[in-house]
Amino acid sequence: MPSSVPAVAAERLTKRFGSFTAVDSFDFLVPRGHIVALLGPNGAGKTTVVRMLATLTEPTSGSARVCGHDVVREADAVRQAISLTGQFAALEPNLTARENLVLMARLRGYTKAGALRTADTLVDRYDIGEFRDKLVKSISGGQRRRVDLAASLVVQPELVVLDEPTTGLDPRSRQVVWSTVHELVGQGVTVLLTTQYLEEADELADQIVFIDHGRGVARGTPAQLRAQIGDHRVDVVATDPAGFESLVHTLAPVFPVTLVPEKRTLSVPAPRETLDLAAVTQVVTASGVPVAEIALRRPTLDDAFLALTGTQTNVQDNALEVLA
Amino acid sequence: MTTATMGTAGTGLALPVALPVRANRTVRYMRETAVLVGRSLRAVPRVPERLSDVTIQPVMFTFLFLYVFGSAIHIPGMRYQDYLLPGLIGQSLAFGVIGAGVATATDFATGVTDRFRSLPVTRLSVITAQVLGQMIEQVLGMAIVIGIGLALGWRPDLTGAKSLELVGLIALGLCAFTWFGVLMGMLVRSSDAMQGLGFAVMLPLSFLAGTFVPISGMKEVPRVIGEWDPLSTLVAAVRQVCQGTSSTGSWPLEHPVVAMVGWCILVTAVCVPLALRRYRRVSAA
Ligand SMILES: Nc1ncnc2c1ncn2[C@@H]1O[C@H](COP(=O)(O)OP(=O)(O)OP(=O)(O)O)[C@@H](O)[C@H]1O
Ligand SMILES: [Mg+2]
Repeated sequence: MPSSVPAVAAERLTKRFGSFTAVDSFDFLVPRGHIVALLGPNGAGKTTVVRMLATLTEPTSGSARVCGHDVVREADAVRQAISLTGQFAALEPNLTARENLVLMARLRGYTKAGALRTADTLVDRYDIGEFRDKLVKSISGGQRRRVDLAASLVVQPELVVLDEPTTGLDPRSRQVVWSTVHELVGQGVTVLLTTQYLEEADELADQIVFIDHGRGVARGTPAQLRAQIGDHRVDVVATDPAGFESLVHTLAPVFPVTLVPEKRTLSVPAPRETLDLAAVTQVVTASGVPVAEIALRRPTLDDAFLALTGTQTNVQDNALEVLA
Repeated sequence: MTTATMGTAGTGLALPVALPVRANRTVRYMRETAVLVGRSLRAVPRVPERLSDVTIQPVMFTFLFLYVFGSAIHIPGMRYQDYLLPGLIGQSLAFGVIGAGVATATDFATGVTDRFRSLPVTRLSVITAQVLGQMIEQVLGMAIVIGIGLALGWRPDLTGAKSLELVGLIALGLCAFTWFGVLMGMLVRSSDAMQGLGFAVMLPLSFLAGTFVPISGMKEVPRVIGEWDPLSTLVAAVRQVCQGTSSTGSWPLEHPVVAMVGWCILVTAVCVPLALRRYRRVSAA
């Protein structure tokens, strides 16, 4: 497979469930050898995109090629090229962890002996030894996830698709997943993962695609996305909800404020950095409203996420919301 | 895909690299089916409900009717064992729908089906394995019923030819009802719903089917239902083959073997294509 063929190339990919559009004209490119994160809130359409790419559900319209193969017309070739770890562990609950691995290896074409060897390698690699011979129905959710990941890596595919691989994992298991992803890419495998954790996308991915309401709302490297949502800003954190309201009244008429009510935070763009910090501080001090914190910050992916997925709206709507 | 070397950071353990060479489609299909049937059968003894569906439940029915209700039931011209056991065989056949449906629905609900569908595995093998695995499970249950029956004094009147006829009928019935169950499991998709629905439909139908008491003695409404109940055909056919009894009331009851073969062929002919189509399209949400 020439490396010029992208691992995923989707054009105007659309999926409707009845009249509901879960994925809406989604354009998506995953270059080979990269880690691309599909980032979005609950219900954004991440799993639906992944399922279309993994040939589990057919697009309503648009097209997608995975490793050069059309997901509808050449579904078999696609399945050969990829491995999917779904959002929820998909294992046979009445087999042991090891038996599940052997089963997956057998289905991928290994001989019995080869499958046993492969399973044991994976048991060691993913720290499964402790619960290797327990029935999957009786091991913990995080352990199950690990077996699930191992089960999809009985061969080294061209593209590994991981749907929320670290949701619900403890730090150690998360580390196993992260190091696996790095390792896979080190071996030339392309990784597409979905996540709701910005930290994770930032840490792992070299390309991030934001998806919301089925639409790609922004894409780029983590640095590009940060740049896209602007420069530094001043965050003012109120001590309590009442203080937050007072601050809205004080600052909103003077600065183009953005609000994050759940964190009692008001953000003011600060292109002039410390000068803006001083200006905001002055207004706040003059108002006499107590604050927990005033700080100059670099934009984080969190900001990008909130700004780009529309969770956060501009000052007018939000002020109304807060006052109501 | 021939690269076989790769360093692994940290652990020094290598992930297996190249995909093993694949055989041709038919060989693959048979191989995958065998692996998947193995998986189903391995799971049976580990699921108490499934194991009891095929073991304890038929045993319970046998004892309950033979020793509890049976004392109040008198079938003219025959011992109750000889009346009851063919009925229970028919009932087990029909209950195969529930087992197959529950197993299929469970696979969808746990995402196992999706996982199989995301693999380069012939999709036909997944569904074939489901059907074969279930049939084997049902045969196990039926063997238990027959064994208990014989131990408790059931004396089937089977010659060589009749035995073959019985085996043929059972195989046909298993096939039809298992496919029906697999289709239902895919439509219902929740194993609890399948279990509930299955019993709600099959239990009354099996009671009306002349399994335990003759249809001719029932009140009018149940009698008419019983006369046209497809399960009655199963029971009457097995009874006719095993004991040489004949039944009356409706055309299917007067010609039970022909009617049963007809039913089974019809059910199979409808369910197989529908199930295959459904399997190709559906995906757990
Ligand atoms: N089979 C289906 N039938 C109807 N609607 C569906 C189906 N599958 C998904 N949806 C809807 O499509 C939307 C996108 O769902 P999807 O599972 O792709 O979201 P997601 O981004 O993976 O969310 P999460 O982070 O919660 O996993 C949701 O509103 C969901 O309700
Ligand atoms: Mg999802």
